[in-house]
Amino acid sequence: MTEAQGGVRGWAAARKGHLSRLRFTSLRLRLVVVFGLVALTAAVSASGIAYWLNREAVLTRTQDAVLGDFRQAMQTRAGTLPAHPSQDELQHTAGQMANSSQRFSVLLVAQDPAGKTVYGSSGGLDGFSLQDVPKSLRTAVNKQQDITSGNKYAYHLYWQRVVDHGTPYLVAGTRVIDGAATGYMLKSLEPEAKDLNSLAWSLGIATGLALVGSALLAQAAASTVLKPVQRLGVAARRLGEGKLDTRLRVSGTDELADLSRTFNDAAEALEKRVEDMAARDEASRRFVADMSHELRTPLTAITAVTEILEEELEAESGSMDPMIEPAVRLVVSETRRLNDLVENLMEVTRFDAGTARLVLDDVDLADQITACIDARAWLDAVDLDAERGIHARVDPRRLDVILANLIGNALKHGGSPVRVSVRLSDAESGEGAEIVIAVRDHGPGIPEDVLPHVFDRFYKASASRPRSEGSGLGLSIALENAHIHGGEITAANSPDGGAVFTLRLPRDASALTEESEKDTGKNGNAS
Amino acid sequence: MGQNERVPSLLLIEDDDAIRTALELSLTRQGHRVATAATGEDGLKLLREQRPDLIVLDVMLPGIDGFEVCRRIRRTDQLPIILLTARSDDIDIVVGLESGADDYVVKPIQGRVLDARIRAVLRRGERESTDAASFGSLVIDRAAMTVTKNGEDLQLTPTELRLLLELSRRPGQALSRQQLLRLVWEHDYLGDSRLVDACVQRLRAKVEDVPSSPTLIRTVRGVGYRLDTPQ
Repeated sequence: MTEAQGGVRGWAAARKGHLSRLRFTSLRLRLVVVFGLVALTAAVSASGIAYWLNREAVLTRTQDAVLGDFRQAMQTRAGTLPAHPSQDELQHTAGQMANSSQRFSVLLVAQDPAGKTVYGSSGGLDGFSLQDVPKSLRTAVNKQQDITSGNKYAYHLYWQRVVDHGTPYLVAGTRVIDGAATGYMLKSLEPEAKDLNSLAWSLGIATGLALVGSALLAQAAASTVLKPVQRLGVAARRLGEGKLDTRLRVSGTDELADLSRTFNDAAEALEKRVEDMAARDEASRRFVADMSHELRTPLTAITAVTEILEEELEAESGSMDPMIEPAVRLVVSETRRLNDLVENLMEVTRFDAGTARLVLDDVDLADQITACIDARAWLDAVDLDAERGIHARVDPRRLDVILANLIGNALKHGGSPVRVSVRLSDAESGEGAEIVIAVRDHGPGIPEDVLPHVFDRFYKASASRPRSEGSGLGLSIALENAHIHGGEITAANSPDGGAVFTLRLPRDASALTEESEKDTGKNGNAS
Repeated sequence: MGQNERVPSLLLIEDDDAIRTALELSLTRQGHRVATAATGEDGLKLLREQRPDLIVLDVMLPGIDGFEVCRRIRRTDQLPIILLTARSDDIDIVVGLESGADDYVVKPIQGRVLDARIRAVLRRGERESTDAASFGSLVIDRAAMTVTKNGEDLQLTPTELRLLLELSRRPGQALSRQQLLRLVWEHDYLGDSRLVDACVQRLRAKVEDVPSSPTLIRTVRGVGYRLDTPQ
């Protein structure tokens, strides 16, 4: 059952650890995402504005130059044409116009003397025809406007950007005032588009780099925040494990440093408190130990003298004053009780102080139990079910204490016959087998609400319970003696009635003493 | 022991007045002659003057402590020493046995237990048989109750002698610590096996050529000890 609980607890802990790691990464992730978004917004808006401004500047400059040239050429060349030029004249002029530094194509439209519309194009074969000029532009160019104070000319220069087969072009057109010809020009904006494209690429790459940079920065920032947090977590865990001297190195003056400082203060306060409590505990423990020590000296004297009185009682009854005799009997019996109590108290303080040591020897369990029962004159009241020849390596004195307490308790609170059985937990009596000694009485059993407390010190089932003979420490001492062997005692009620105390001891407790001998550096079992 | 009814004389060294008086009372009633001393120094002086048969020695003494008294006695004398100790100090018992004590009694002391221990210790010096046995260069004369090694007399305490006698009675046979406790110390089933271990060590120091690699008194792992005849 405990194992199952352990398993569940272990699983929960593992799950918790996993979750915390997940949370940990998500904080990092969040930081990276936020940094990335900030960087993206900044980079995209900066590049966008830069691109747009550049584009406008480049296009406007090119356009202005082209349109200026075109206007110039229209004035100087097309303006000198006769009112009704011939096809050849028109073609020639168009060629001349196109032959400028801006390398645009020119299309001139006029009416020849016969009233027929003639075209003069500079482009030659792949020529620039009127179809290439958007209709809206043609309409605007040919529209005669009223001359007002704000508008000095009847015809204006119009331009438009068009895209044909993926190539951007600038198309412009105007009509010569008082002239017959309408001129159009077409200028490829491909070089400019290329420039702008490469600019866009550069900006895109810059944005990408900014994103990567921001991610790295976010990682770094997350690390500077999360590493102290992680350290704090580790320190808190160590603190929880009882290492109260855990402290964090405080560096810097930021909030995390404040947190570290707070942690250190808390740990210090905790350590001090625990130390105080331990000191108080230790003091009270030492007091009990000292007290039982101090009690022992007068008790030794009293015991020695009491025995003389006891012998006097046993010698010849009647030799003593009948008024005194009960008093002497009381002193004798109560001194014995006091002796037991002090001895048990000292035993308990030795366990509490951790100074109890095992003195191991090979014992035959059946012999040992028989001797224990025999020494206390319990042979008639106890049934022993044990084969001879079961050997174990235990501390005989401590095993005797356990057995005497368990059997004595069974006789006192249960009822005869008390049955003691010994067996090995494994079918084959191999190494590492466990000894199981069960002590069963035939009394009323132990009430369920008392069962968990039977090993408590000085536990009394109820206030009305008659004062028992024992010191109230017997079962607790038995349990401690089992523990020091690496064993255990459990109490239960038998389904057939009566209480059953089960003692389990490892067959060989040597491993335990070797450990404790290492601690003390003292070899008690020299050979 | 019938007519051997010489009243044994004891020296009780104990600093606490009440315990000293009470034990003196109790032991006197058990039929011992008791001399008492309150300090180790006084005790050692009385020891030289009175030559008691046995010493009952408290461990906690003002001035030189019980262990030191024990060690000083062992330098010249092999008379039995019983320690009075507090069981809480487990180390005390080990140190006490190492400094040469034959047995120990734990406080609070029951007069009867102490008396039984005293009598058991005193019995160890008693002769039981009249033969002799030899193990290599070691000769055990059970008639004279002496042990010689290469013709030289060994100074053994009664307990050491008894242990050697018990082992030599069953040469080549392993005796468990509990058996030895019963045979030599006359302890009940709860005997402290450290008594045996400490005594074996002291005995080896006197008997063996090289005490750290014994050839006579061999340890039998998981059982106890055995006396071998060296080849």
